[in-house]
Amino acid sequence: MFSSLLQKATAFITDVPPASPTSPTSSRPTKTTLFRNHFRLPDSQTPLQEITCELTLPSGDHYAGKLYLSESFLCFSPNPPSSSSTASATAGIGFTLPLCAIRRVERLHSRSYMFALAITTWHGVANSTSSPGGKEERVTLQFVGMRSSCEAFCDRLKRGLRSQMGEVKNLRILVDSCYSEYLLGNSGGYDGVKRTTDGAGADDSRKKDKDPPDAGLGMIFKYPGDTRKLRDRSKMRLWAEYLRANFGVENGRNVTLVRQPTFHKLIRVGLPNRLRGEMWELSSGSIYLRLFNPTMYRDILQEYDGRHSHSIEEIEKDLNRSLPEYRGFQDDEGISRLRRVLGAYSWRNEEVGYCQAMNIVTAALLIYMSEEQAFFLLSTLCDRLVPGYYSKTMYGTLLDQRVFESLVEKTMPILWEHLVKSDVQLSVVSLPWFLSLYINSMPLVFAFRVLDVFFLEGPKVLFQIGLAILRINGEELLDATDDGAFISILKSYFSRLDESAHPRSDNEKLRAVTRFQELMVVAFKEFAGITQNTIIEQRNKHKDAVLSSIESFAKRTQLRNLGPDSRRLTPEELSCTYDQYFGVLYERQGRLQMIADEMEKLATKKKAAAGSGVGGNGGERGRVGLGPTTGETGMDYDCFREFLTGVAKWAVADSVASTPAEPTQPEQSGFFGSYGGAAAAALQRKNLLNPWGAGNPEPADHEFMRRLFRRWDTDMKNQLSLGNVVSGLASVVGGKKDIMGNINYWFELYDDDGDGKVDREGILRITEALLFVTRRGDVGRSDGEEAEWGDERILSAVSGFTRMCFEYADPDRPKKEEGVIKVDKDEDEDDLLELAASSSDEDPLDTPETVSPGERSPTTPHPKDNAKANLALDPSNPLHITLPTFRMVILADEVLERFFERGFAESFKLIPGSEPQATAANPRLMARMPSTPLTPGNAKGLRGVLDGIVDEGMRVAAEVRRRMEEMEDNREEEGEEGEAADAKSIREGDRDLLKGAEADIQEGQGQTDGLHIEKGGGSKGEGRGRSVSYGDQISSRVVEFES
Amino acid sequence: MASRDEAPKLSSSVKLVLLGEAAVGKSSLVLRFVNDDFQENKEPTIGAAFLTQKCTLPTRTIKFEIWDTAGQERFASLAPMYYRNAQTALVVYDITKPTSLIKAKHWVSELQRQASPGIVIALVGNKLDLAAPVLADDDGGEEGGDAMNGGNRAVLTAEAKAYADEEGLLFYETSAKTGENVQGVFEAIANAIPESTLKPRAGAGGFAGGSGRAGAGSGGGDAGAAGMAVNLEDGVRAKEGCAC
Repeated sequence: MFSSLLQKATAFITDVPPASPTSPTSSRPTKTTLFRNHFRLPDSQTPLQEITCELTLPSGDHYAGKLYLSESFLCFSPNPPSSSSTASATAGIGFTLPLCAIRRVERLHSRSYMFALAITTWHGVANSTSSPGGKEERVTLQFVGMRSSCEAFCDRLKRGLRSQMGEVKNLRILVDSCYSEYLLGNSGGYDGVKRTTDGAGADDSRKKDKDPPDAGLGMIFKYPGDTRKLRDRSKMRLWAEYLRANFGVENGRNVTLVRQPTFHKLIRVGLPNRLRGEMWELSSGSIYLRLFNPTMYRDILQEYDGRHSHSIEEIEKDLNRSLPEYRGFQDDEGISRLRRVLGAYSWRNEEVGYCQAMNIVTAALLIYMSEEQAFFLLSTLCDRLVPGYYSKTMYGTLLDQRVFESLVEKTMPILWEHLVKSDVQLSVVSLPWFLSLYINSMPLVFAFRVLDVFFLEGPKVLFQIGLAILRINGEELLDATDDGAFISILKSYFSRLDESAHPRSDNEKLRAVTRFQELMVVAFKEFAGITQNTIIEQRNKHKDAVLSSIESFAKRTQLRNLGPDSRRLTPEELSCTYDQYFGVLYERQGRLQMIADEMEKLATKKKAAAGSGVGGNGGERGRVGLGPTTGETGMDYDCFREFLTGVAKWAVADSVASTPAEPTQPEQSGFFGSYGGAAAAALQRKNLLNPWGAGNPEPADHEFMRRLFRRWDTDMKNQLSLGNVVSGLASVVGGKKDIMGNINYWFELYDDDGDGKVDREGILRITEALLFVTRRGDVGRSDGEEAEWGDERILSAVSGFTRMCFEYADPDRPKKEEGVIKVDKDEDEDDLLELAASSSDEDPLDTPETVSPGERSPTTPHPKDNAKANLALDPSNPLHITLPTFRMVILADEVLERFFERGFAESFKLIPGSEPQATAANPRLMARMPSTPLTPGNAKGLRGVLDGIVDEGMRVAAEVRRRMEEMEDNREEEGEEGEAADAKSIREGDRDLLKGAEADIQEGQGQTDGLHIEKGGGSKGEGRGRSVSYGDQISSRVVEFES
Repeated sequence: MASRDEAPKLSSSVKLVLLGEAAVGKSSLVLRFVNDDFQENKEPTIGAAFLTQKCTLPTRTIKFEIWDTAGQERFASLAPMYYRNAQTALVVYDITKPTSLIKAKHWVSELQRQASPGIVIALVGNKLDLAAPVLADDDGGEEGGDAMNGGNRAVLTAEAKAYADEEGLLFYETSAKTGENVQGVFEAIANAIPESTLKPRAGAGGFAGGSGRAGAGSGGGDAGAAGMAVNLEDGVRAKEGCAC
């Protein structure tokens, strides 16, 4: 079930890139996104049916075009949705009709061979009872096409209508909040009788004396500008006329509005104050989001009431300084509205949160619309109209600046050349225009005129206006030679927009043309060639360069500010770590998000909820320049695992074809208490969706990695920041490779309670970790001797380690405790002498005899020495090793010594490709241990064994040895296939080695160890002094004991 | 500092950029300097604002071309656009907000590595009016004093001063509200600009093109050397070993 869903999900992802055409990253918008943008539909809508048809309005006007059906909408447009059409559908003729606003659909029989429908809308019904002739206002749709496709369309429509019945109640709420309803309701024509079939008569009678719906702060604090000068009344009259037409509701209103050419013209001359908000949300399509999410705004406010966030903090800082010149924002009422809208949006889309300039834009919206309207319009603005403008990296802003520059270069080459020559950076001037949608560049009244057209025709308007400004001021700008002059020319231009464009003209009409009118004409006539398609093309062209420059800036800044630990890595290592960190983090976030989105979408698809679709559609992800996908900016443990696979080979799971669930068997997470079943379940769920992405190596999951994660997570947030990772890496890789430091590091890693002791369990875990990290056989090898550094030596070293640990472990004896338990490690060394002595005198003799060389089975240990076994092996006697003991044990073995000195640090390859020989060596080694690799799974198997025989510490060695034997066998088999000589020689070398080890121990005195250590230390430079002294201590300890 | 007796009064324009965390008072400092005015609720700067103001010194007149940048974190990536070719920078923090000093330090290292070589940087702790009684400042900076009389002060003068000395920055504490020290900062900066980086105003043709424009061009090397000298005067320029 799940896997098929997953398949569908991935198929869906690959088929339909989830990007809108306005997203800077989609090279070619899909049909679906074109459709949505054309009709300004929510993201939940897809084109289900389309058919050629002829639209006949009640007035008798005909339009040929296409009819589309989506889940919740019926749309008509004379031209097909395409990115190359000069304007979106809203600019031309047509309608976008929510299915719930359709009251009746009738099949017309007038001309039997034609297939025609008559549609009565919500407002049409209302009119039918009140209009003079009782005539119903119907929109007639005459289909052109095969009968079967007509019927298919109708069938689908019928189903759609039925499924949208439930939305009618939302429609009623919405319609009541529309100013147009109040306007027409109050001024006759429509008196609201029998608005609904459910007979809400009381509601109707209230209609007339009801307060007008909220049309923004302007209703309280006056709208900006002189209403007389703006000719607000005549505009209102024209609109009322358009909406009402000559008889009733020909063109519908709000959601049932039919757009005719006049609609477009009316918007170009500027919207009347009280209708402005409604028309903005209608032409941008945000009204549909509001329709389908009637409680969202209030729900968000309620849910996050009193919560704090970084965004909220930033919003607070700016509330008092958003359009402070407008009276409404000097008042608590305006400020509280602004606070609520900005806050709600920051919660709704945490990816964007809050960006300065949003306060100005939102403040402007609030002058003309209610909070709720502003909230949805802000969402539409940020998510669709100007994506990436206000994001964390502001890539949209920077990208559009680049696009603008290239358009200037193309359309005004002389000016452009001049700019380049005088080294004036255009975006210095134009960036605020775009970012604040001209609101804080032009006087408000004019900025709103620009917004009127912007919401209708889309982002290209910003470019057209910008180009027109430069064109009009071109002459003067050519005289300016620096940024300062450039800026002041434009500043003065903006301040004189209301003056006559041709003050000295003889023609009175020409004199009456204001500079702003001139601007509009130039913008939309002279630059009519700038279409949405132009913008998309240009955005695609410059996207990569812009993202790269953002990324390199971010990288530079972040790396510089990492703090002192970062200096222990080389610049190149840091740079690679950064790339790896964000590469993994963002790629993974995007992947998981996408999977989650698709799963959710699939799960809810059946309901065909027109809803949501507000925010968060972000488009492309996975690039630093695009900013984080989610609010989270750190790595969780799984992400950390993925990160490690990129820097350390041992972090890659062994079996390539392993089933996803394998690395997270419940027992495994169970044995490490703090990561309970919940984590395992979460992991498993994620695994079902293959969170590692196609083609990526699957990360191993080992307790050692968890420990590293916890150790690096110094902020205890269960998340690693880049800083955490760099500090963590610095502690294992960075700086001078100090063997003592590394040994301490491992010890601390396993000293859970920080009391300077690692218990029996810890010792076994260290053993596992050593085996885990070295299981590829490529760790700890120094350059010249890779052959020599086989797995065998590591295994024997690790087995020796375990044995020695138990040998020299201190029992947790209460009477000794006063002396022993000292956190200060230097002091411990003295105590160690007495304590470890008790064990060292007896067990060296046991070790070699526990398992005879030929013995294979771990389940049949030699019990013979149990009687003699020291306390260290008795499970009822807790024991521990201290740091000095641990050091001694490590330094006692050459292999381990080298591992801690260099091998472990070198197992991290921060710079990719710097070690070609490692990849060459690896397959060979892997091939040598084909059937019994110490995979995490197997390591767990080993672990299981260990648990069973924990009372017999020696058995670890036995188990390890068994594996070695097995490997020998494997090699023998291989040998039989042709490499006999080679295998044999290695095997014999091992035997010798083992014998040697046994012999050493069999001699059984502390001095042997001392000797051994001395030997190891002798070959090294730095560590020698100390290791020798340990040897000395041991011998002296023995002596002391004996004496 | 760098006075040239024989020269007639020179007039040159200098590009100055203001950087610092949001709402530390960058725009207010500029407003005080340019218009000797103060507004309680200043609109946040979108992108950057541009203003000019003359500063008259005994030997020369300097016309500051001031780029006042937006402070919000996400605008940081726009900053290179504005500090490009800047000869001087004011890095501002708010003495009542320790985090703003951290941010200021980030800006300083960004400028030291990315801006024109030899850029003259001043570290400015603003909102001095919010600190308590003015006199105790320096003693308060020593130890424990801040609890006594620090008002809202959260960054000790001594701490910031030490950092500024270490990095070779000019250092001032100001109040845009009362106007305290504002003029002083700009004058100090004007004085600290090495002559060689000054371009004559309304520069004629080729010459101006050479020094100001091409950034790293012929004028650049010059400026680098001179800038170093200035920095050495102000203190040892400590080179942090860092990644990039």
